[in-house]
Amino acid sequence: MAITYDIIKSIAAELYGSCLKKIPEDTKDALKRAHEAETNEGARKILALMLRSAITAETTNRHVCSDAGVPVYFVKIGTAARLDGNIKQAISDGFDHLVETIDPPILKHVTNPLTRERGYKGKDMPLVSYDLIDGADYVEISCSPKALGSGRWAALEIFSFPTLDVIEKYVMDCVLKAGSQHCPPVVIGVGIGGTFDHCAKIAKIATLRPYGQSNPEPVVAAMEERLLAAVNKTGFGPMGTGGDTTALAVNVEYAAGHGFTPVAVCFNCWINRRAGARIYNDGRIERFE
Amino acid sequence: MDPKADSWMDGAIRLQLPISEADVRKLKAGDFVLLDGEIVLTAGLPTFERIQDYVAANQPLPIDITGGTLFHLGSYSQEVDGKFEVLYMNPTTSTRFNPFMPDFIRHFGLRMVGGKGGLDQASADAMKEVGCVYLSFLGGGAALHSAAIKAVVQVAWDDLVAHYRLVKLRVEALGPLVVGIDSHGNSSFEQLSRQAEDRMPEILRGLDEARAKTETK
Repeated sequence: MAITYDIIKSIAAELYGSCLKKIPEDTKDALKRAHEAETNEGARKILALMLRSAITAETTNRHVCSDAGVPVYFVKIGTAARLDGNIKQAISDGFDHLVETIDPPILKHVTNPLTRERGYKGKDMPLVSYDLIDGADYVEISCSPKALGSGRWAALEIFSFPTLDVIEKYVMDCVLKAGSQHCPPVVIGVGIGGTFDHCAKIAKIATLRPYGQSNPEPVVAAMEERLLAAVNKTGFGPMGTGGDTTALAVNVEYAAGHGFTPVAVCFNCWINRRAGARIYNDGRIERFE
Repeated sequence: MDPKADSWMDGAIRLQLPISEADVRKLKAGDFVLLDGEIVLTAGLPTFERIQDYVAANQPLPIDITGGTLFHLGSYSQEVDGKFEVLYMNPTTSTRFNPFMPDFIRHFGLRMVGGKGGLDQASADAMKEVGCVYLSFLGGGAALHSAAIKAVVQVAWDDLVAHYRLVKLRVEALGPLVVGIDSHGNSSFEQLSRQAEDRMPEILRGLDEARAKTETK
């Protein structure tokens, strides 16, 4: 068997649809834990309301948010995967298929930045990046639609040989600037090092990490832990009600670079849109969130 | 925890629209409210630009919002057999409309504005002057907010994409919404930002201490 155009197209559409209507299981669990731990009464009400909203959307087949975002996919191709057909086109066609078929329909959020015209299609859409996995007999697709609410608060600055305190201060500056406008409790992705483009990408990928997983390097995991505690001391709380729950995770990824060190910070809002699938040569499909 | 059994609606104040200035002035930042009656909404920057043009030309809007509401909510409206239906609605980031809101609040004597993320001090000043509150909607609350829609009263400016249109709806028990800015100059958003800024030196010291512990391990 092979991994075909049809299956990739169908999975690309399905993952996007899933992102719109279902928040990940680990995210529901994290919200429940936050609800139990939260000491601010208004914040507790909002966390309960969030869970209610997520469950209502999932059980009644509705969108969680009206902003369907723009399509963003990460594709990893196993070097032992057998591909049949135009896989790149399949992802683009998958998004088009979603637009045509999803019920209720989605709003037009794909924007030409020069004219502000909006539609379902646009230059470079969907935003897809590709990578390889040596030896794997599958293709892995992750979908992470990005909407305005949290998308607009991402930031990147380039430092020269910064110390850790400079890096962490910058993360906190970004947190302060976003306030409660990115629909907290958020997951915060931090990228350190590499180049401008690479740093932004690893920050974004950091937001897709499941809750409960730390960076495997203890030094980085410790940074994640202290940054999370720091962010939650700001007191913005869920949707800006005040409280202890401004972020549910801070995930840090780094890469070696030159002495000019980019630091990128980005956010995923509480509904934490992410869905993925591994499509194997033998036809098996493994879903993950 | 069973969110269905939770007391998320406990203590929410039920309000009938249109609402008087006296009743609006009773609301305090942090109150939870539920709305019944007619609301007007839009999520479009071009819409705000158009409203501004209408105000400048002293031309009436196709939907009168005088003494009413203007919420920053995006909605999906479509025309079926000559009648508009609205499939869902959800808030958008209000601060995008900071430059427009003080004038609109004063010009139309708005009683309620809202969306998510709050408005700036200039809007809060206008709200204090006029007798208007900012209501914070749950972001990612489309399924809940949309269930409150009982009727589509009017959809105007349908030359624009759906979420940019000016939409008037009749709602029942819309919410709970949180009073983020009241008509007495209290803004939760302003207070929380100030609080976070005040806490920042201590937070950064905490980071330094935690880092020092890790480094000496």
